[in-house]
Amino acid sequence: MKQAKYGLLLFVFLALPPVVNILESIMIIHMHMQMPLLIIAGVLMAKFFLQRYPKFFETWNQNGIPGILLFLVILLYWMIPRTMDEALTLTSVEVFKFISLPFLAGVPLRDSWRKLGSFKRNILFIVITIMSFALGLLYVKSPVQLCNNYLLIEQITLGWGYLTMAICLVIYLLYISFTDQSAYE
Amino acid sequence: MKKHRNSLGIVVVLLFGFTLFYFGTDGFTAYTAETARVNQLKEDQPKFPIVTLEDSNQRVYPFSEFQNKYVLVTFIYTTCTTVCIDLEMNMSEVYKRIPEAYIGEEIVFLSISFDPTVDDPAKLDMYKNFFESDGETWRMARIENQAELDLLLDEFGVIVIPDDYGNYAHNSAFYLVDKEGSLIDVMDYKDIEGSASKIITILNKEVGA
Repeated sequence: MKQAKYGLLLFVFLALPPVVNILESIMIIHMHMQMPLLIIAGVLMAKFFLQRYPKFFETWNQNGIPGILLFLVILLYWMIPRTMDEALTLTSVEVFKFISLPFLAGVPLRDSWRKLGSFKRNILFIVITIMSFALGLLYVKSPVQLCNNYLLIEQITLGWGYLTMAICLVIYLLYISFTDQSAYE
Repeated sequence: MKKHRNSLGIVVVLLFGFTLFYFGTDGFTAYTAETARVNQLKEDQPKFPIVTLEDSNQRVYPFSEFQNKYVLVTFIYTTCTTVCIDLEMNMSEVYKRIPEAYIGEEIVFLSISFDPTVDDPAKLDMYKNFFESDGETWRMARIENQAELDLLLDEFGVIVIPDDYGNYAHNSAFYLVDKEGSLIDVMDYKDIEGSASKIITILNKEVGA
């Protein structure tokens, strides 16, 4: 239960207005730090929900697929340029961000992760790699400013952030496909 | 039974995802806040607020000066080295395509600076020459009162973000204001032909009526 408490603590910390302001003032930090941290807070807090309502997760997320799909839906939603803009200008969207990322992405991710075999996990990695590449190219190559609240240069920085992440994921995928994982276990 | 619920879970998640994306993008039409903003403006048709303009000829007047004329508005600042130049270049192309009889009579062109501390009338006067603006049927003006300027930018959804080097990032478009001072269209400034023909159609209808 300690984990869930740390998760809650992280969540509350991230929701503090000054912290929100700092993290959202720079585009790449907004997207590559605040949002992942919210998911991590959810992953940590998931322990509480999994212990409290094991039956729910057992019946509705038996093989982990519904949960991981929900995780991907939420992830994809926050990759639309508009949603990031509106999180800054509309309170309702901002509130939805703080609810959806931890509870609709982080919690199901944890439950699904342990249910997915290594094959499905790798598919998930590949999907995320493709998404990162696509978004990286979109943000770097787009001639127009996609988000009204950030400068073009920040958009390009974010694009390179995505490309870097995608490259790292590719290295990881190559690594696991050319090494025998069972030898290390 | 459990297997069944699991599949149902997948369906529910996909439906939820569809609904979320549908409402998040106004029925798959607006993926950026800018598109959403323009769609919203066209629907709302906000009134041009009461502001005082000071133009390149040092004349000071309210926006109601243009009553009974259409006004094509752009927002600029003269030290801009990027998009404003394209924007004003394209504005001059549109200007050239409007039949001469309408110019000044039915429609007036107006470039408004959102950097009033730098862009005084002298500066605007120099700037207008780059684009062959005559300062009369195509005016360049600033709004000195910051509160009035902010009100206008807010009403028309113009977002201006200063960077640390005296430059600004801002969204650009042609804003068409009708004779009663309502914003009736926000047009893509890169589409010269489309914008010009749209304006000509509106003016033709006006004169014919």
